[in-house]
Amino acid sequence: MDKKRLALLGVLFVLLIGLVIIFFRSGSEEKIEKSPATPPSEPESAQTELPETEKVVLFFLSEEDPFLHPEEREISVGSSIVHQAKQTMEELIKGSEIGYVSPFPSETRLRELFVTGEGVAYVDFSREIWEKHLAGSSAEISTIYSIVNSLTYNFKSIKRVFILIEGREKETLGGHINLSQSFRPQYDLIAK
Amino acid sequence: MRSHKKKIITASWVALFFFFTVFSHSQNAHFIKLSVRDYPDFSPVIIGSSFSLPFHIEKSSSSFQDVKTIVIDPGHGGLESGAKGKFGTLEKDITLAIGFKLKAIIERNLAFRVVLTREKDVDVSLENRAAMANNNKADLFISIHTNSSYRKKARGSETFFLGLNATDKEARRLAYLENNSAAFEERIAADNEDEIKMILWDMAQKAYLKQSSELAESVQRELNLLLRTYNRGIKQNSFRVLAGVACPAVLVEVAFISNPEEERKLLTEEFQNNVAQAIYRGLANYIKTNQE
Repeated sequence: MDKKRLALLGVLFVLLIGLVIIFFRSGSEEKIEKSPATPPSEPESAQTELPETEKVVLFFLSEEDPFLHPEEREISVGSSIVHQAKQTMEELIKGSEIGYVSPFPSETRLRELFVTGEGVAYVDFSREIWEKHLAGSSAEISTIYSIVNSLTYNFKSIKRVFILIEGREKETLGGHINLSQSFRPQYDLIAK
Repeated sequence: MRSHKKKIITASWVALFFFFTVFSHSQNAHFIKLSVRDYPDFSPVIIGSSFSLPFHIEKSSSSFQDVKTIVIDPGHGGLESGAKGKFGTLEKDITLAIGFKLKAIIERNLAFRVVLTREKDVDVSLENRAAMANNNKADLFISIHTNSSYRKKARGSETFFLGLNATDKEARRLAYLENNSAAFEERIAADNEDEIKMILWDMAQKAYLKQSSELAESVQRELNLLLRTYNRGIKQNSFRVLAGVACPAVLVEVAFISNPEEERKLLTEEFQNNVAQAIYRGLANYIKTNQE
């Protein structure tokens, strides 16, 4: 009787441990799936080490078709959305690591980024994004929506994006698309 | 024996709870995945919108006016060369050459006045190009460009008309204008005048979106037939030069100057003549269809 009891208790214990492991693992997987838009604070983190990086999705061009293609990248978990959005933009202008085409002049730098209470992200780039731009309609559209989609897709609190150059509003990147407005995402430009 | 039974019952409860947890988690993950993917798509097509406004934009959404003046806008110019080809071809030179050819064909075949927004290699601001169309009481506006992309393989021709990317703020401004048109002039403070001008300016093209889409379709059809370049179709986007034009207006992107094969084509007299011929046919068909 005692032996049986012990065996049963053992089985129960193993089951419980399994349950706890599965509970936390599926929890963290779900968080990654969900996109890092939610605040990084994870109250029920029974795990000893907090995840230090989070995955974001960047959008680049491909030689194969005219659509934007997703590429995952790790960013470190910052204290704020603005911090994470900045890292996302910095990763984006670095270009693709898996052979996609970057729709930015390679010298482009991120100067500043802030998000208003209404969910408009103002992204300020260095002059190269305009000076060295290819200046074609297609080139402008892919630059703009690579930025806009990469921000709105990852951060739910960002609804629209306004692009600044050297801290100022510019009329266009190269004579086509109106930059004196905030852009909503265009997810139909993403490859299916 | 009874305690043994109890243990089994407890164990099965635990198992049940275990499965429930796993199941609900996978459901959850699925649900979240969907909610991210199903993000509402941007829908830029707002056709036939009607605003009652205290300024003069002749709306002709149902009745068609006879075409008397066509304004042709050769893209870029002066210091602003536009896109560049691998062999050094400048977009501004190609667009001007096609512009002259198109003007000649229209004047030869139709009894319409043709105005070019530039006849030399000079800078003309996007705002002034639209203003030239409005000051000349343009009935149709065609902006000519050659495309460029960061993709080396990008090729083909497409025709754009204005797409609206109206923000909530703009929508609120519109609502304000609509509701306060009577007291409009009095209520606007002097320092707001520029902003108001910008709003009115931005709306000039909005009354003509349906006609612009028809014109774009007609031009694109002829480009496909005559040029045999890859058909990129008709598209909408918020082109600065189109926004201020108060008549049906399109922007043609003929081939990619960034693609060496297409750059070579763009340089030939024959191809440029075909582009002008195709745009002319597109215009003529549009005029004919709308006169009937």
